[in-house]
Amino acid sequence: MHRKLLAFRPTSPSSAISLLTVERFRIKSAAVKSDRVVLIGVLAELSRRQLPAGGWAALRSSAQASLESTCLSTLAIGSDDSDEVRLAQEFLVRLQNPNGSWPAFFGDDRDGVWVTSLAVIALRDVATAIPARLAGIHWLMKYQGKEANWFWRWKFLTADRHVRFDPDKFGWPWVPDTCSWVVPTAFAILALSQVPCSCGGLEDIPIRVDLGIEMLMDRACPGGGWNAGNGVVYGSTLAPHPDDTAIALLALNNRTQHPVVQASLKWLEQTAQTLTAPWSLAWTILALASHGRAVGPLITTLMALPDLSGNDDTCTLALVCLAADSSRALAAFGVNL
Amino acid sequence: MILNRRNFLVGTAALAAGASVSVPFFLPKYHADRRAKRSRVAILNVEQYVQRIDELLGSGLRLFRMNIQGKTVVLKPNLVDYMPGSAINTHPLIVLAAAQAYRSLGAKSVLVAEGPGHQRDTQLVLSQSGYADLLRNFAIPFVDLNRDELIHTRLRASYMGMKSLWLPRTVLEADFLVSMPKIKAHHWAGVTLSMKNMLGTVPGARYGWPKNILHWKGIQESILDVCATIPVHFVIADGIIAMEGNGPLSGTARPLGKIVLADDPVAADATCARLMGFEPDRILHIREGAKFLGNVSPSLIDQVGEALTPPTTPFDVVPEFRHLHGV
Repeated sequence: MHRKLLAFRPTSPSSAISLLTVERFRIKSAAVKSDRVVLIGVLAELSRRQLPAGGWAALRSSAQASLESTCLSTLAIGSDDSDEVRLAQEFLVRLQNPNGSWPAFFGDDRDGVWVTSLAVIALRDVATAIPARLAGIHWLMKYQGKEANWFWRWKFLTADRHVRFDPDKFGWPWVPDTCSWVVPTAFAILALSQVPCSCGGLEDIPIRVDLGIEMLMDRACPGGGWNAGNGVVYGSTLAPHPDDTAIALLALNNRTQHPVVQASLKWLEQTAQTLTAPWSLAWTILALASHGRAVGPLITTLMALPDLSGNDDTCTLALVCLAADSSRALAAFGVNL
Repeated sequence: MILNRRNFLVGTAALAAGASVSVPFFLPKYHADRRAKRSRVAILNVEQYVQRIDELLGSGLRLFRMNIQGKTVVLKPNLVDYMPGSAINTHPLIVLAAAQAYRSLGAKSVLVAEGPGHQRDTQLVLSQSGYADLLRNFAIPFVDLNRDELIHTRLRASYMGMKSLWLPRTVLEADFLVSMPKIKAHHWAGVTLSMKNMLGTVPGARYGWPKNILHWKGIQESILDVCATIPVHFVIADGIIAMEGNGPLSGTARPLGKIVLADDPVAADATCARLMGFEPDRILHIREGAKFLGNVSPSLIDQVGEALTPPTTPFDVVPEFRHLHGV
């Protein structure tokens, strides 16, 4: 525990160093100190929740290791030489399915789901996990939305047109044999974009990534932002969600000038001012930071939310830690600023 | 035609092939008939969401003989997403009133559980829709079914062609499960009532947001399989402000002024459908559910409380479901 806390290195300069008056400097210093205290408490709670086998459950009350919680917590603790992280990484490798994918939780069926992208990201710097990552990447390259098949594409283009989308632009589904959706597509783009070279049977990575990006652009809500992936249904416009928007923007971090991204950033920045749910606010911070926006005040807002350590949802705790050190978190997601 | 050995063999083979193809369509797809001999439904007139709902609901529940003593009660509202001014979710005051009523009936514990189908940030939906404050102030625990511990569960019907689903421990281990839908028209299922509400128990962490596998397997079929597997013990349907048109998210608020209580989800949904001006027999999951889950026929339903009066103008629906309107 002690080593882990030492290993955690907040690196984002908590905004407003330019506030030069003494009074403001004092207020700012107090806030930063308080943020660190909160962060240490959240990290300690995260550490307490690690299961003996190395994973993390989705909820505090549960003992069933969930892959999403494990991947995000591993990234949040983020020090290669801590025992907790090593245990978590070994757990992730052990849990990989024979086909290269990862299950949603310990004990799940062995066909593999969307969390494979997160596992590939969480094992990014682990030399011993290179074969596991490669197998995961190969699985991701074969895994695609059901609309990729010509028959379903034809059906969506001709007969089934109540949801407005272009089925020629497909990405990744949550589970096999279903359509592409925004969040799994964004995570797959982030995972595949970390592959250093397109070789050894992975030559098509840039093509899949570009297609996934086109899919995200196509599924955006008309006024900017994303929800699960239905912008317009039966002619009605559906509202975007902050977390879906943020995760999509994170995956589109190198497309800042695209009009859809610009509109979405604008929507998210406005929405962020009133967000009080830590999961959405934390993703929002990471997304805005990935597009070079100032996030210091949002981090302060996040850390001031009541009883963060008591949050039942382990993924939320992990996200809070990642958002508090957004530079390191973005590096882990493969975002180069 | 002469019946010789060759024709006989060809005919027999054709008959066998025909039977092997058609018989599965006529075999029952449910494992057990759980219908009660009679069902009880109460309609309460409630025009507005006011604090008095707890009194009304308390007196409504006393119309049923329920033994709640020492039981774990799970309230499953319909909590999908939040849009200001819309009638998407079961109103939190009704959920609060139900929690208080079951506590006063001697429940060992009462908790609220839901797994929103569109919004991954459950805490955001809870806070925006007014649930978070009420649950905290009245110390009612909440379980996010999208992230609950999962149990591999064999389905007790086979409409969608899946043998099993991973389902949340909280609902599987509940002593008394109350489905608390919002009465709404639905663009894929026709209606979303107490049976459709149970799809919220299918965990997003395993099946995604939305739970798209259920759409691909057939929504009506999924509803039947999930309801066959997770018994609903009671229904409290919020129809004070209902939704018509392009539900479950983009429809129009429709004041109906009713709360529907029932000890049978099929009877509850048939009654709600009649209140919406629909023929329940034309809604596939209600019609099929009447074969093994509950009662649709008014002759098998003891109607208490207010009279069942269909609306002068039926609820609007998307064009694909216009056939639900009565003759």
